[in-house]
Amino acid sequence: MVRSIFMSVILIFGTLAVIKPDEPLAFSGQTIERGAFGDDVIELQARLQYLGFYKGKIDGIFGYGTYWALRNFQDQYELGVDGIAGTKSKDALVRVSDYHGDWVHEQIEKGNRFTHYGGIPLAQQTSAGAGSSESTDVQLPVKYSERDLQLMANAVYGEARGEPYEGQVAVAAVILNRLESAEFPNTISDIIFQPGAFTAVADGQIWLTPNERAKQAVLDAMNGWDPTENALYYFNPATATSKWIWSRPQIKQIGEHIFCY
Amino acid sequence: MKSAIYLLSIAVLALGLYSYEVRKDNEHLQQTIHAQYTNSLTNASEKLSTLQQSVSQSLLFQDEVALENELDNIWRISNEFRSTISSLPLSREVSNEWLRYVGNIGEEAKFAADNDDFESWHKRMPLVNQNLQALADEWTVATSNFYQNDASISEWASVAEKEANDSPFKTVAANLKTYGETDFPLTASESDWLKKKELQNLDDQEITKDQAIEKLESLIPGIKDATYTVTKSKDNAPYPFYHIQFVKGSRIGYADITVKGGYILSFLSERPVQEKTGITQQQIRDLVTQILNKAGYTDLQLVEMRENHEAWHMSLARVVGEDKALVYADGVQMKISKDSGELLGLNAMEYVQKEEINEDQEVVPIDWKAFFRPGTQVEEEQLIYTENEAFQLRKCYQVIARFDNDLNETFRVVVDTENHDVLKVEYMQ
Repeated sequence: MVRSIFMSVILIFGTLAVIKPDEPLAFSGQTIERGAFGDDVIELQARLQYLGFYKGKIDGIFGYGTYWALRNFQDQYELGVDGIAGTKSKDALVRVSDYHGDWVHEQIEKGNRFTHYGGIPLAQQTSAGAGSSESTDVQLPVKYSERDLQLMANAVYGEARGEPYEGQVAVAAVILNRLESAEFPNTISDIIFQPGAFTAVADGQIWLTPNERAKQAVLDAMNGWDPTENALYYFNPATATSKWIWSRPQIKQIGEHIFCY
Repeated sequence: MKSAIYLLSIAVLALGLYSYEVRKDNEHLQQTIHAQYTNSLTNASEKLSTLQQSVSQSLLFQDEVALENELDNIWRISNEFRSTISSLPLSREVSNEWLRYVGNIGEEAKFAADNDDFESWHKRMPLVNQNLQALADEWTVATSNFYQNDASISEWASVAEKEANDSPFKTVAANLKTYGETDFPLTASESDWLKKKELQNLDDQEITKDQAIEKLESLIPGIKDATYTVTKSKDNAPYPFYHIQFVKGSRIGYADITVKGGYILSFLSERPVQEKTGITQQQIRDLVTQILNKAGYTDLQLVEMRENHEAWHMSLARVVGEDKALVYADGVQMKISKDSGELLGLNAMEYVQKEEINEDQEVVPIDWKAFFRPGTQVEEEQLIYTENEAFQLRKCYQVIARFDNDLNETFRVVVDTENHDVLKVEYMQ
């Protein structure tokens, strides 16, 4: 008798494990709201998509698309509509949806184009390698794109990788200050590739792979930090030969670079 | 001996072939670049000529439709000319002056078309037209050498390296500078904007280096007793400030503090940050409030939070008046670590010298159902102050609107409260 009860319990747990293989990956204890990013948001988007509320890309970024989808879910399940995934909303989602966490993360890592709708076999919801392989670990101010970040990180790494962090943020800030200035082109790409504008473009160092520090420096500059106090130019006093650059009003020196208007 | 001579001959032959191939490749590259630069130069010259003709033609019309059409052309051509000029290896001075001058013409055209301000366009443009004609002629003279049969890439290389005064563009550069100042003097609002940017209205008492450090440590106690290096801004900087660099343990960073009044303009600290965190978004919000209270920034409202893998980046805007309108131009940015909630960055440069607000601007109600197409939901509405294209601070409606469809595409739309001009539309991710 005891043996059969024991076997039944094993069978039930075994069945549950097969039916819901990814449940251990359920949400962490954090409340999730607009502005958040990470694994919890990936799960939130995947579960909302499973139920048909979220039609956008599963990228781990809690933007407006996720926000409206969550509100619609909360409205339909009478959970109190606030667009914030607290305990009640997350519990309800876990109750009524499945989440194939390992599969979803695998698709993201591979850069596949995929969806996570319920009732459709997962194999039919992915196309290998067709999706964006762009990093999803950054949230930028709305006026910048990930391409801007990538291009600027290349420029900062090529121009200032030996400089202190402040000096790297400063180089990124100069590029962004030029974007605001009438004397320079209107796009980040045009500014970076303007002939003669950056040494790293001329000597090819812009094509080196930037490190995480250079990306962080660009991210800080895009978020408003400008250690140069509005500079439009910089130069290395040990190597600069242009008389014109020496005639510009100087602001401050960071590392090897003098920043000026 | 014979074998050695044989091997040596083979090596010399291989080296010769290799250097021949490299030289050929270089020549090919040079020719490609030369052709591209010449093509850009031709484009620039043609666009300059078309722009001048368009400006001239715009002086023909009194009819508003005909004039608006011409103004649109001018705005488009000026942008194309700017793009072409910026792709040429001209000296920095020549390139900057061209971009500024032609950009000003385009902006004037757009402003006149948007605001139906045809009178001031007709008043200002005869002189611009005359100067543009002179510039086009000088440009033709300056660039004639680049079309000669014997012209090579070396001509371009020397232009890029020469100062404007030593280049064929000497006259063009000098005239662009002069015309720029006479044809487009700064307006009052542009001048105010520059004054604010350059903190020219600060007249507080000066503080010492030690007081600056004290000020910094009071806001960020985590760096107390760090090793500091303090330098003063260069003599030509438009406002004097202390540049404080600090090192404490694994923290390295800087802060800029104004000499007058000791205002913190910017602070940034770098240290290793753990990605995994137990700190909630609400706790981060509470920390922001604590920091603001400590700094005395009591009139700010958190408007945006963005989580990144090491830190949260936050934007705050000043709140003014009874209608609690947001002034984005007086913003503060913060960076807080995800592992411990430590303040890693503060940027308050725009907040230091606050905008003067005209609260009397009329607020004319808008019927959003008539303003937006059917199927657009207005989800949030808030009053804000923001600059228009002429750098004038305007009271505006800020609306978060979305398409009521599967993708829920969302937009931030900024509309002037008085004349209902749309100042900004942003696609929200």
